[in-house]
Amino acid sequence: MNRNYIYLTILLLALAGGLFVLPERNNEQGTGPEELMWDIVQPTRYATTDQVARMIIEKDPTIELIDVRPTEEYESFTLPGAVNIPLDSIIIEHYQDYLGVDGMNAVFFSNDDIKADQAWVIARRMGYDNIYVMKGGLNHWVETMIRPVKPDETAPEAEFEKYNLRKGACLYFSGAKPDANAGVQKSGVVVKRKKKAAVAEGGC
Amino acid sequence: MHVHELNPKRTAIALVLFALVIVVGLITMTNPRLKYALTPAETIKMVSLDEGFFYPYQLAGMLSGHADTVLLIDLRNAFEYGRGSIPRAENISAVELLNEENIERLEQLKNDGVSVVVFADSQLDANGPWMVLRQLGFENVKILLGGYDYYKKRKNDLASAKNDDSYLPGKADYNFAEMPSAPENSSANAARAKTSITVRRKKKAAVAEGGC
Repeated sequence: MNRNYIYLTILLLALAGGLFVLPERNNEQGTGPEELMWDIVQPTRYATTDQVARMIIEKDPTIELIDVRPTEEYESFTLPGAVNIPLDSIIIEHYQDYLGVDGMNAVFFSNDDIKADQAWVIARRMGYDNIYVMKGGLNHWVETMIRPVKPDETAPEAEFEKYNLRKGACLYFSGAKPDANAGVQKSGVVVKRKKKAAVAEGGC
Repeated sequence: MHVHELNPKRTAIALVLFALVIVVGLITMTNPRLKYALTPAETIKMVSLDEGFFYPYQLAGMLSGHADTVLLIDLRNAFEYGRGSIPRAENISAVELLNEENIERLEQLKNDGVSVVVFADSQLDANGPWMVLRQLGFENVKILLGGYDYYKKRKNDLASAKNDDSYLPGKADYNFAEMPSAPENSSANAARAKTSITVRRKKKAAVAEGGC
């Protein structure tokens, strides 16, 4: 019977020794295939150009813009405050300073959104959280922020609100003046307000 | 203790069961259902290779001939698939792509030497699932450039898409450097921010004036 206890002790010691081997096997931390696929189908991983513009204008300290295009393209043009992490160097460890920061939202962008999305998939697999893709990329950025198009007269109110934000963003990012049509629309609003003021005057 | 003295075999039985449970636990733990075949570095190389792409004009030949060697998979949901898809495409929504039976199917296709072409509305929507399958080691999986949207626009004249490059990813549609937007430095941006805020304040002032 005593021998049995000795066997038990030896077995437990052997298993304890096995723990030294185990962590090496599972050393590759990150996201497994199923979880990665689940994250990929979530539409919340995309950021619109409107959201990005708003965060830049409001100087949101939690946004980290990441330009995944090659360095030459980054140097000729990029978004304000963006850092350059070319797609092929995203696995280099020292970029963890930009990607692996708690409370920061990293937004990937490229000319369109494919390269940025590829960077997203790789970064997500490596275990980085709070990362997003700017949908449409810089092409869409130009279409919405630098050359905003006025919505049709019949478009819903939300479209006009979006357009107004974009006009402001256009001024912010390029210094261009809003177009003539927009001016007419604005004065219309002011006239309405004047009427209200007149009623207040009558009260005095 | 008294129990052991009465029946010394019990310790041995407990010992064997104990070891068995541990062994079973180890086996199930170290064998995840799906394993990555590519490292992140290999994945980066893979996405820039041409062999992972399926060009829209290749569809033309495929759809007119017999398609034994190519299988189209529509990754959108069943509703969108029902509203129209590429002829002969099968529907496996991206959410169900990694289900056991679908993985078995994909492995079967890989062993049979059939190329699998995945697509969704845009290339962007299919990019993630395509990359996951590739990383799992399905080298026969390709992505349809341009996606279903491009196919829909061009379906009557797919062969001519050979001369078109509007579907190719990564292109800059504008010369960004020549945009008035090129930021010189961060202080210039800060100055711009101030002007835009001043403009907004002026509007408010105008309303107040009207009040007087």
